[in-house]
Amino acid sequence: MKIYFLSMILLLLGALLSIVVKDRAKFKVCSIFTFISTVMLWIPSLTVLLTGSPISKSIYMSPIFGDVSFVVDPLSAFFVLVISTMSFLGTVYANGYMKPYFEKGMNISSHCFFLMMLVMSMILVVTVQNALFFLIVWELMSLSSFFLVIFEGEKKEVLSAGIKYLVYMHLSVIFIIAAFVMLNIQADSLTFSDFANVLQTNEQFANIVFFLAFLGFGIKAGFVPFHNWLPDAHPAAPSHVSGIMSGVMIKTGIYGILRVITLMGTPSKYVAYTVFIVALVTAMYGILYALAQRDLKKLLAYSSIENIGIIGLGIGLGLIGLTYNQPLVAMLGFVGGILHILNHSIFKELMFFGAGSVYNKTHTRDMEVLGGLIKKMPNTATLFIIGAIAICGLPSFNGFVSEFLIYFGMLKGTIGGNTALFITLVLAIAGLAMVGTMAMLCFTKAVSITFLGQPREEGIYNKVEGDVAKCMWIPMAMLALFALVIGLMPQFFVALLLGPISMFVQAPCFMLPIAVINMMQILAVCFFILTVLIVVMFCVKLFARKKVEEHTTWGCGYNRGNSHVQYTGASYVSLFLSTLKPLFKRVTHIKKPKDLFPSEAHYEQDIEDIEEAYIVKPILKWDERFLSKFERIQSGNIQQYILYGLIFLVLAIIGMIYFG
Amino acid sequence: MITLLFNILILLFAPFLMIGVIKKTKAFFAGRKGVSIFQPLWDFIRLMKKDFVISNTTSWVFKFAPIVGFATTIFAALFVPMAGGMSIINVPCAFIIFAYSLSLGKFFALLSAMDTGSSFEGMGAAREACFSTIVEPAFFIAMASVVALTGHFSFGNLRLILENAGVYGIMIIALLAVTLFIMLLIECCRVPVDDPTTHLELTMIHEVMILDNSGMDLGLITWASAIKMLLFQALIANLVIPASLVGWQAILAFVAVIFVLSIVVGIVESSMARFRMTHVFEFIFVMTLTALLILALVTYRVYGG
Repeated sequence: MKIYFLSMILLLLGALLSIVVKDRAKFKVCSIFTFISTVMLWIPSLTVLLTGSPISKSIYMSPIFGDVSFVVDPLSAFFVLVISTMSFLGTVYANGYMKPYFEKGMNISSHCFFLMMLVMSMILVVTVQNALFFLIVWELMSLSSFFLVIFEGEKKEVLSAGIKYLVYMHLSVIFIIAAFVMLNIQADSLTFSDFANVLQTNEQFANIVFFLAFLGFGIKAGFVPFHNWLPDAHPAAPSHVSGIMSGVMIKTGIYGILRVITLMGTPSKYVAYTVFIVALVTAMYGILYALAQRDLKKLLAYSSIENIGIIGLGIGLGLIGLTYNQPLVAMLGFVGGILHILNHSIFKELMFFGAGSVYNKTHTRDMEVLGGLIKKMPNTATLFIIGAIAICGLPSFNGFVSEFLIYFGMLKGTIGGNTALFITLVLAIAGLAMVGTMAMLCFTKAVSITFLGQPREEGIYNKVEGDVAKCMWIPMAMLALFALVIGLMPQFFVALLLGPISMFVQAPCFMLPIAVINMMQILAVCFFILTVLIVVMFCVKLFARKKVEEHTTWGCGYNRGNSHVQYTGASYVSLFLSTLKPLFKRVTHIKKPKDLFPSEAHYEQDIEDIEEAYIVKPILKWDERFLSKFERIQSGNIQQYILYGLIFLVLAIIGMIYFG
Repeated sequence: MITLLFNILILLFAPFLMIGVIKKTKAFFAGRKGVSIFQPLWDFIRLMKKDFVISNTTSWVFKFAPIVGFATTIFAALFVPMAGGMSIINVPCAFIIFAYSLSLGKFFALLSAMDTGSSFEGMGAAREACFSTIVEPAFFIAMASVVALTGHFSFGNLRLILENAGVYGIMIIALLAVTLFIMLLIECCRVPVDDPTTHLELTMIHEVMILDNSGMDLGLITWASAIKMLLFQALIANLVIPASLVGWQAILAFVAVIFVLSIVVGIVESSMARFRMTHVFEFIFVMTLTALLILALVTYRVYGG
C-alpha cells in the first residue's frame, strides 16, 4: 500500500513540477512521472488481481471525514491497472500532439497540471471507500477534465461544449450525493462497507439507492438518455484528452455502478431488467448516430456511447443471472462486461489518437474533405484500421472476445428461464448482432472516407507532408498490440478477471471459472487457426510472383472522373439511414439557384440528436422561461447581496431555534 | 474419418460444380445449351494463371482484402457441419464465430472496394454493408431460437430440431430452411437481390465491388464466394437430412441436397427478375419475419402449451 501512496504523491509532484519547467519539457515531465507511477501502481494491482486478497489502509483525516480507507480490492485493482496504463500512453501521445500548440507560444502549464490531476483523481476515485472523500475526488476529476476540455476555450463551440459538460457532470453529482446521503442516514457512517449492511437488509431501500446511483453514474458513463454531453465534449477536447476521457474517465461511471452492485445483495428483477434494457437502447442509439456523423471525433464519441451500452449489457446480463440464480450466466455477463471495459479503453484510445493524428496533420475533423491519407500517413492509417477491426468486434482482436462472452451468456440464459426472459434475451442477441454490423458499416465508413480512395480536397491533402512523429504512433502501435494480444490469448486475461468477478458472483464450485476459461482456450485455438490461414494465404500470394501492372481505377468506360465522383461518407450510409428515417431529425438548409442560368446553389443537411431536439431543448426552454422570472434578484448590487446574506442568517437562526 | 475427408473435398471443389449446375439450369430455362458444369473451375484455373492489373489509387488494403476474404471463408467453413453432421471444428456457439468471421472478410471487402476510389464500387459497398446489417440480426434470432429449443450450443443442433420440437418440428424446419435460403440469396448476391450476370454496373452489388480485382485476387474472391454459398446450402442440408443417416448414405444425401438446392437457385434466377433496390429491403424483412416466427414457435413449444 505504501507504493500506492508514493505513486499518488509522485503524480501530484509531477503536476506541480510541470508548471515550473519550460514548455517543451512539460509533457516530458508528465510522461515520466506517469510512467513511474504507472509501473509502481502495477505492482499492488497485479498482486491483488493474482492473489485475490485486497490490501487496504485506513487514515484518520478529520472529525468530518472520520476514517478514510483506501482499498485496492480486485475490482479497484483492475481499474487502477487500466487507468494508469491508458493515461500513461495518453501523456506520451500528448508530447507530439501538443507540439504545434506550444510552438505557437500557447500557455500549456495549466493543461499539464490538470492532466496529472485527472490521472490522480481517477485513481483515487476507484480506490477510496469513504463517501465524502469519494465525492471530493469525483469532483476533482470532473473539474480537471473540464479544464482539459476547454483547452481551446477561445473557440465558441469548445467553450459551450465545456459548459455543457460541466452542467451534466453536476447533474450527475446531485444524484450521487442523494444516494450517499440516504445511505449515510441509514447506516450512520461514511464507509462503503457499512453501506453494504443497510443495502443487503432492506431491498426496497436498496432499489431506490441503486436507481439514484445508476442515474448519477450513468450520466458520467453516458447511458442514453444522459449521453448528450459526450458527442460535444469529446470533439472539443484535444485528442489525447478525448482518448483518456473516452477510454478511461467515463468508465469511472461504470465503476460506480459496479461498486454499488458489489455492496448490494441479490438484485431485484426491476434493477436487472432496467440496466439490461437501458444498455441495449444505449448501444443501438449510440451506433446509429455514430453512423450519421461526418465529424470523425464525434463519430468516435457516439461509438463510445455504443460501447458503454455493450458494457452495460454485460453488467445487466450479470444482474439477470444473479436475480434468476444462474451463476454461469451472471459470470459470463460480468466477465464480458468488465473485459469490454478494458477492450474499449484500448481501441477507443487507439482510434482517438488516430483521429488526433489526422487532425494534427490536416487541421480538420471533417471526413468529407479527407481521403487517400493512407499514402501519406501509412502508420497512422494501418493502426487506425486495426482499431476499427477491434472495435467492430471482429475475430482475432479483443473486441470479439468480450462480445462473444456476452453472447454466450445470453444464449446460456435462454435455456431454462421464463418466457419474458427468453424473449428479452433473444431480442438482445439480435440487437447486439445488429450493433455489431452497424459498427462495421460505421467504421468502414470512417476508415475508407478518411484514409482510402483519392483525396477529396487537394489543398488539404497536399499540405500533409508525412506521417506523424514517433511519439505519436508508437503509443498507438502499443495499443494495437494489446488489442491483438488480448484477442489471441483471451484465456490469460479472463483468468485475471476472475478476482473482480468473484466479488459479484459467489460461484458454487470451481467448475464455472474453469468452464469459462476452457471456452476462451478454444477461442484462442480458433483464432490461431485463423491467423495461420491468413498468413498461409499471404505467403501463397507472395510466392506466386505475379507481374503487377498499374492502371487507373476502372471507371466503367468513363475516364474523365475526378476525386469528387467518389462515394462520400454521407452517401455510403444514406441507403441504410433511409430505412430508419423517423429516428433522426434532419435540418436542411437549401439555397436554390434562382435564374434561368446556372448560379450559386447550396444544399446542406445536418442530423440532430432526437434526444437533444425533443427532450433536452424543450426542458431548457421551459427552464429559461421559469428562471428568467428570478432575474430581478441578481441585480449586481453588492448591498443587496449583503441583505440576502443577512436575511438567510436570520432565517437560519430562527430555524435553528424552532427545529433544533 | 472418411466422411471428414470427403467433407474437405466437397468443401473445396463442389462450389465450382455448384455454380456450374446453377448456370446449366439457367441455360436450360433460357432454352440454351449452356456451358459445361466444369466451366467455372476452368475459369478459376485460368484466373489463377493471370498477372495483376492494379489501380494506382489503391493501397495495401486492396491487395490484402482477397487474402483475408478467402482465409475467413475457409475459417468459417471449419465450423459448419457438412455431410453426416460433422464439422471440422466442433465448438459451442459456433454460429457466432461463423457469422463474425464472415464479417471480417466482408469488412475487408468493403474497404477494398472503397480503396479504389470508384463511385460504382462505393455504391456496391454501401449496399452490401446495408443489407448485411439487416440480415445478421434475423440469422441470430433464428439460431438463438434453435439453441434454446435443443439445448445444444454447437452448430450440429440443426439436426436435433425434429426430436425436440415435437409436432412443431416440421414447421420450424420449414421456416428455418426458408430463412437460410433467403439469407443465401442475399449473402451470395443471387437474383432477386442481385444479378451476378448483369452488364450494368449501377444495379450490381457484389460484382461491382470487385470491378478492379484481377488475376489471382479475382480467382480467390470467386472461389470464396462460391464456398460461402456452399456453406449456407450445407446448413439447409443439415436441416433436411435425417440424423439417422451415416457414412456413405449421409455423404450421398448431402451431395444430393446440395445439387437440388443449386437447381432451386437456378430456377429462382430463371423465373424472376431482380427486385428494385427499394424492394430488396422488403424481401430482407421477410427473412426477419420468418426468424421471428421461429422465435414465436420455439417460445410456444418451450414455455407454452
